Amino acid sequence: MPLLLGVFERPDQVAEAVQRLRGRGYGDLETYSPAPFAEVDDAVDEKPSGVRLYTLIGGLLGVVTGYAMTIWMANDWQIVVGWKPFSSIPPYTIIAFELTILFGGLATLLGLIVKGRLPRMALDRSYSARFSGEEFGIAVRCSERDVPEIDALLRENHAIEVDLVES
Amino acid sequence: MTPPPPAESIAARLRPLPVQSDSRINRDLLSVMQGASAGYCLLLAIAGGFVGLAGAIWIWQVYQGLGIAGYAHPVFWGAYIVTFVFWVGIAHAGTLISAILYLFRAKWRNAINRSAEAMTVVAVLTAAQFLGIHVGRIWKSYFILPYPNQRGLWVNFKSPLLWDTFAISTYLTISTVFLYVGLIPDLAIARDRASGWRKLLYGALSLGWQGTSSQWKSHNRTVLHLSGLATPLVLSVHSVVSWDFAMALVPGWHATIFGPYFVAGAIFSGFAMVLTVMIPVRRIFGLEEYITDYHFENMARFLLLTSTIVGYAYASEYFMAWYSGVEAEQTSFFKRAFGSYWISTWVMILCNTAFPQILWFKRARTHVPTLFVLSVLINVGMWFERYVIIITGLSREYNPATWGIYTPSWPELGIVAGSFAFFAMLFLIFLKIFPVIAIAEVKELAIHEKAHGGGAH
Repeated sequence: MPLLLGVFERPDQVAEAVQRLRGRGYGDLETYSPAPFAEVDDAVDEKPSGVRLYTLIGGLLGVVTGYAMTIWMANDWQIVVGWKPFSSIPPYTIIAFELTILFGGLATLLGLIVKGRLPRMALDRSYSARFSGEEFGIAVRCSERDVPEIDALLRENHAIEVDLVES
Repeated sequence: MTPPPPAESIAARLRPLPVQSDSRINRDLLSVMQGASAGYCLLLAIAGGFVGLAGAIWIWQVYQGLGIAGYAHPVFWGAYIVTFVFWVGIAHAGTLISAILYLFRAKWRNAINRSAEAMTVVAVLTAAQFLGIHVGRIWKSYFILPYPNQRGLWVNFKSPLLWDTFAISTYLTISTVFLYVGLIPDLAIARDRASGWRKLLYGALSLGWQGTSSQWKSHNRTVLHLSGLATPLVLSVHSVVSWDFAMALVPGWHATIFGPYFVAGAIFSGFAMVLTVMIPVRRIFGLEEYITDYHFENMARFLLLTSTIVGYAYASEYFMAWYSGVEAEQTSFFKRAFGSYWISTWVMILCNTAFPQILWFKRARTHVPTLFVLSVLINVGMWFERYVIIITGLSREYNPATWGIYTPSWPELGIVAGSFAFFAMLFLIFLKIFPVIAIAEVKELAIHEKAHGGGAH
C-alpha cells in the first residue's frame, strides 16, 4: 500500500491536517514532531496516555512492599531496639515512602517504553532527519486510488511538500 | 471521485527526500559535543590526576585502616561525612529545577535543566562513595542492605542510616531515570546527525525515537509523573540526611528544625553549584543566546530566598539554644561561635547569610562575575556549614571530660579534594557525550514563538 508523507512547518497546520484526514476516514497515519505539541498528539489520538496506570500500579506496589518488607523482616528475627514495637509504623513509613517513589518511577519508565512502543530496531521509511530538525511530518498509508485525494488535502493544509515514500 | 493515477506516475514520484539545511538550534547545541580543545583536555587530565591520587590515598586507607583519618575521640564523623552531606546537598538543585519548576510551568528552566540534572546524578554518585570511604571496611558495606543471609539476620529499619540508604539509592535511581527520559529525544537528534561510534551509541540509547504522537504523548506524561514523584522525593532526601543527626541526642543536632533547614541549605548550595559550573560553560561554548542573564538572575533570586531561609535557621538554632534553658545546648552553641571552631562558624555565617545580601540589588544579580564569585563563596560556606554542625556538635557533648578536638588529616583532605575532581571529571565527560542543553525543549519554545509570532505567554 502506498505511503504518503507531507512535510509541514507549524504544529497547528499539522493538527488541522490530521483532523481533516481522520474526518475523511484516513486513520492509518503517523506524525513526526521535533518537540512535544499537545495539539498534534491530541489530534492523532484524543485518549490520555496510558502511562498513568503504570505509575499508579508501581506506586501502590512500592508502598505495599515497603511496609510488608520492613514489618516481616522485623518480626522474622525479633530484636528489641530502643524498647520500640517490632512493627513500628512511623520509621517504616520512610522506607515505604522511598519505595513508593522508586517503584512508581521505574514503572513510569516502563510505561514510556510500552506505550511509546520503544525500543524500535529500525526507523520508519517515512522518518527522516528533518523531523529532528524543525519540521513536522504526517505519514499516511492508503490505497492507491486515494493517493491524489490525500496529496491534495495535505497541500491544501499548507504542506510544504508531499512525497510518496512507498508505492 | 478522481480516477486512480497510473502506476508509472506513482513510481516516478518515488524519490529520496531532499536534504534540508538543518535547524540552527541543533547546530549550536550539538557543537558543544564536537571536538575537544587543548584546555578541555588539560582540565580533564588534571581532574583525572586528582581522582587517581585520591584513589591511591583511599587504597592506602583501606590497607592502614581508618586511623589515618583524623578521627579522635569523641569525633568519629569527620570530613568524609561532611563532604557526603555537602554533595547530597549539591544534588538537590537538579531535581528542583527539573521537577518542581516543571510543575510550576516555569519556562526559564529549559536552558538549565539538563545541566542541573546531570550535576544531580554526578553529585549523588560522588556523595555515595563517601559512605563506602567512611565505613572503612568497604568489603562489609553491603551489610547495610536487607538481603537474605545464612545468619537469618535482617537490617534495623529503625535506624536513620537505613533510611539514608533507601533515600540515597532511590534518589540516584530516580534522578538517573529523569535525566535519561529527558535525554531520549535529544539523543535521537544527535543520532540523526552523527557518524561512527557516536551513531551507534546514540542509536542504541535513543531506543529508535522518532517523535511520533504516541511517543511524545507518553513522554509528556512520563515527565509529568516523574516530576510529581521527584518533588516529594527531593524534599525527603535531605530531610532523611538531616535525621542522621537530628535523631541523635547530641547537643546542636537534636532539633526539629533540621529537616527544612537542611532542604533549604541543599537547594541553596545546589543553585550555587549550578552557577559555578554554568557560568564558565556558557562562556567557553558561547551559549549566551540560550543561557541568558535572565536565567542567571532568576537563579540569583533563588539564592537570595534560600539564603534568607538558611539565615533564619541559624538564628532560630541560637534562639532555641538560649530559650530552651538546656545548659549543654547553650554551651554547644557558645563554643560554636567562640570556641576552637570559631573560624569555620564565621566563614559559614558570612558566606551563607551576609554576602548573598548583595543580591537584593539588580546590578549584582545581573553582573555575571559577581555571581560567579558569590557562588564559589557559597559553596565554601555550605561545606563549612556541615563541618560546623557535625564537628562542633560531636566535640562538645554533655560531659566536658569527653570533649576533644578534631582536625582533618591530610589523607582526608586529599580524598575530599579528589571528590571535587571526580565531580568535575564526570561533568566534563558528560559535556562531550550528551547535549548539555535540552534541545527539544528549547525548540518547543522556538517553534511555538514562530507559529504564534511572539512570546509564549
